[in-house]
Amino acid sequence: MSSTKETFSQISPSEFFYRNRDLAGFSNPTRSLYTSVREFVENALDACDQKGILPDIYLSIKAVDVEQPDPKQYVLTVKDNGPGIESKHVPLAFGTVLYGSKFGLKQARGMFGLGATMAILYGQITTNKPVTVKSNTDGKMQDEFVMLLDIQKNKPIIQKHTTKESSRIGLSVSIVLEGDYSKAGTKIRDYVSQTSLITPYASITFEDPTGEKFHYPRIVKEMPPPPTIIKPHPHGIDVETIRRMIVDTHYQIPTVDNKIITKVRSELGLQKKNLNPEGILDRAQKRWSNLSRPVRTVIAMMSFLNLDFDGLSKIRIDDLDIANKKLTYWNFGESQSHLIELDPESPYYKQLANTVQGDTLHSFLTKRFQRVGPTTADKFSEFAKFKAEKRIGSMTNEELVRLSDALQKFEEFLSPDPSCLAPLGEEPLSKGIMKFFNPEFAAVIQRSASAYSGFPFIVEMGIAYGGDIPPKGIQVYRFANRIPLLYDEGSDVVLKVVNELDWTRYKVKGETPLVIVSHICSTRIPYKTVGKENVADRPELERELKNALQYLARKLSVHMSRQGMADMAKKRANLYSKYVPLIAQFSTELAGKKQEPNYKQLIKKGSELEEQQI
Amino acid sequence: MKNSKSKAKKTAELKKEKVLTLLQNHGLIMYNDLDQGKFPQFAVPSRSVSNIVYDKKLRQYILGNASALRSSKNMSQLRSFTQLAWLAFFANKLIREGKTSTLRDIYYSSQAFAIDFEDQPESDNIIVDLEAILTSAREDFHIFPEERSSVFGDLTIEYTVPGYEGKRMNLSDHPDGYLIGPSLSSAELVDTSAELVIAIEKGGLFTRFVEEKVHKKFKAIIVDTAGQAPRSTRYLLRRLNGELGLPVVILADGDVYGEHIAMVIKSGSANAAHLRDLTVPDAKWLGVWATDIEKYKLPTIPMTESDIKRIYELQKDPRYQEGNWKKQLEVFLKLKRKAELEAFSKYGLTNITDKYLPEKMELAKSL
Repeated sequence: MSSTKETFSQISPSEFFYRNRDLAGFSNPTRSLYTSVREFVENALDACDQKGILPDIYLSIKAVDVEQPDPKQYVLTVKDNGPGIESKHVPLAFGTVLYGSKFGLKQARGMFGLGATMAILYGQITTNKPVTVKSNTDGKMQDEFVMLLDIQKNKPIIQKHTTKESSRIGLSVSIVLEGDYSKAGTKIRDYVSQTSLITPYASITFEDPTGEKFHYPRIVKEMPPPPTIIKPHPHGIDVETIRRMIVDTHYQIPTVDNKIITKVRSELGLQKKNLNPEGILDRAQKRWSNLSRPVRTVIAMMSFLNLDFDGLSKIRIDDLDIANKKLTYWNFGESQSHLIELDPESPYYKQLANTVQGDTLHSFLTKRFQRVGPTTADKFSEFAKFKAEKRIGSMTNEELVRLSDALQKFEEFLSPDPSCLAPLGEEPLSKGIMKFFNPEFAAVIQRSASAYSGFPFIVEMGIAYGGDIPPKGIQVYRFANRIPLLYDEGSDVVLKVVNELDWTRYKVKGETPLVIVSHICSTRIPYKTVGKENVADRPELERELKNALQYLARKLSVHMSRQGMADMAKKRANLYSKYVPLIAQFSTELAGKKQEPNYKQLIKKGSELEEQQI
Repeated sequence: MKNSKSKAKKTAELKKEKVLTLLQNHGLIMYNDLDQGKFPQFAVPSRSVSNIVYDKKLRQYILGNASALRSSKNMSQLRSFTQLAWLAFFANKLIREGKTSTLRDIYYSSQAFAIDFEDQPESDNIIVDLEAILTSAREDFHIFPEERSSVFGDLTIEYTVPGYEGKRMNLSDHPDGYLIGPSLSSAELVDTSAELVIAIEKGGLFTRFVEEKVHKKFKAIIVDTAGQAPRSTRYLLRRLNGELGLPVVILADGDVYGEHIAMVIKSGSANAAHLRDLTVPDAKWLGVWATDIEKYKLPTIPMTESDIKRIYELQKDPRYQEGNWKKQLEVFLKLKRKAELEAFSKYGLTNITDKYLPEKMELAKSL
């Protein structure tokens, strides 16, 4: 047998991301610069969206040493007029990985606020320079932090913290990073300009390293309605999510520490007074209905431990084994472990059992998921072959897997609630397109909400034709949750749908000046890769995109026919006078004649024919 | 020999005159129509599948009677009518000036006359239209595809292309063979000591045959068809057969495609149903037959799905309904394996020329 021993060591999330930075889009200086811009701009827009503030975003990229060739160090700064971040949260928000405020289920550009920290981390790795964060939440004081990330410990190291008076609310983040603007420039400029197209209610200014300023003013003054945070849909979760949902219920055995003891004393009205164990239980019985659940649980344990508050503060609960009716605790004073048998007849036993085993399946379903009522919960229990009264905390691993499978398969759940989505809306989209492309014709559509595997989504699409659009064939602008998608377009579902449409049926062929703007909103965009640049072809999504595109193509085709008639008339008028002389020339030579035939009368006949046909 | 020589001498010249006359006639009709205030038009024989029929007497596919009118009066046909007229004009020029052109050339040449072909497929299509109207192959009006097949053996030709008129050449002087290109196709076939033509599918074996002096042993002219024989090669085979009276035998891979290569040389393809003079109805398919695979114990490779699909397709073809053609298809289908010509190398490099070929030639006499 092998005698080698594997050693397992834990790494912090920061270290994990440091080792896997390629995954998050930080593979090289070009891509990293682009990704960093994206992450900061998106965070800024999200912050404004959430508070209903019309965003004013300022982005600047400046070379540290202009003379150096690329790749070199750049200072990247993004300023917004959002709500800012409270001073005490700043170090954690920007100095640790996995700290974010976006854990709820609703549509936002980013998911967990990871990206910004990744950018900071990347900047620190490549330049060893700190991040500077300026935040002002109240319009009075501005906090400025200069900090580094301790990668091993996943902790911020604050180098400087200053405050000064300032009336401008908002957040400004500035990092130094290695980048390659000569290569990333095109993408970054595209990104900024396309962002302004899909965020017509924002004003965005970009100052690039050459000093050129790109300013995109606000086109519409109304914010689209903000999304609401909602509970998850049963189809959209997996075993791990269920496990987390069970654990993060408040039905946990509280840790017996001074804090909880103070809470128990205060709820029993015994802040100062000490009673013996029986006295405490009597008092608790009288006030039972007013006690909070953690307090009830502590009282229940006290009933078995037979301890007063002093005694309670000297022990630590090690294990509560409901199935075998045993409770083990450690007494600090005696430095000794104790085991107590629990009497299953005691009403307190039931209190503990329920706490440990959590909600019934029935109430878990109705309370924790969207659009599940009592009837559906009953039907589901039957379908999944669980008793509706089954305590979810008592489920074994196998049962959890069975539950999760059944949640996926049960078909009678109502479709997901789309109120957590924030589409742009037809009017702002249309205004954005008109302003952006100045086309001869444009149309937009917002499809009604649909869902794939429990995640709701809405497709918005616009089409624009002619005007200032260059005749380069169909150009597709892809957006997902108001983010422009610029890379990997080849394998994207939107491109697939556009390419599969038989455009000749809609009178579109050749190098038509045509633009398609596609916006997918969802609580979870089904990206194909971690880089979040191309969307997978889920059938439900594909169908919605196709319907939207066909609708728009029909609108375009109506416009084209009107336009086409006029154009054709012009074109045809010249047809006979163009071709008949050529035929005459060729036939003269073929026939070996010296003089061309008299074809003038034919051209006249031709133009008469044309008039009849038009 | 003397007799066939003088007959042969005229062939190329006659053909040229025939095509020029046809072109002039069409030109005259157009000219007169224009002059009389009538919209000129062409009747283009339809090449749709429903109009392609097998002619048992001619022993090849031909076009039926259906044809479509292309009129300069119709606004939607005016452009393609003009393109057709231009192509006739351009072909006329090519023939008179003794120049040649390729399909790609045509596409570009058109641009000098403001004849707007959208792409090459469009101009290729117009070329086939003109072929169908004149019932002449594009080679006859000096438009050639890229060439890749070649010929070797004791055959004296006389060039007719400008600059070489009257110059003679023997096709056994260069062991790699001679490219069957425009100048060879338009040359007169003057003299030969050969008694046979062997058409072979692959360049590698063509070289082997030359090395092994097959042309001497069998008194043969050897033709490399380089896969499915191009039209110019089929035309040459027909002339060798028709003008010089040489029998033609064919050697191809032992699979369904090899069998069909032989069939196309013998009786043409559906694609060229609008053309004549591209078939050798008496050509004989020597092998490799499906039955040879077992008889000569040839190493084989399994057929692919598309091979098998192709067998089913050919079984519906009227030419595969009887005799050896039918039988071999059935055996191929039973074996589901195929053998290439090179398979004979298992028994030594010269096995195919020393053993297989003589045996099959003997057998061919009774076919």
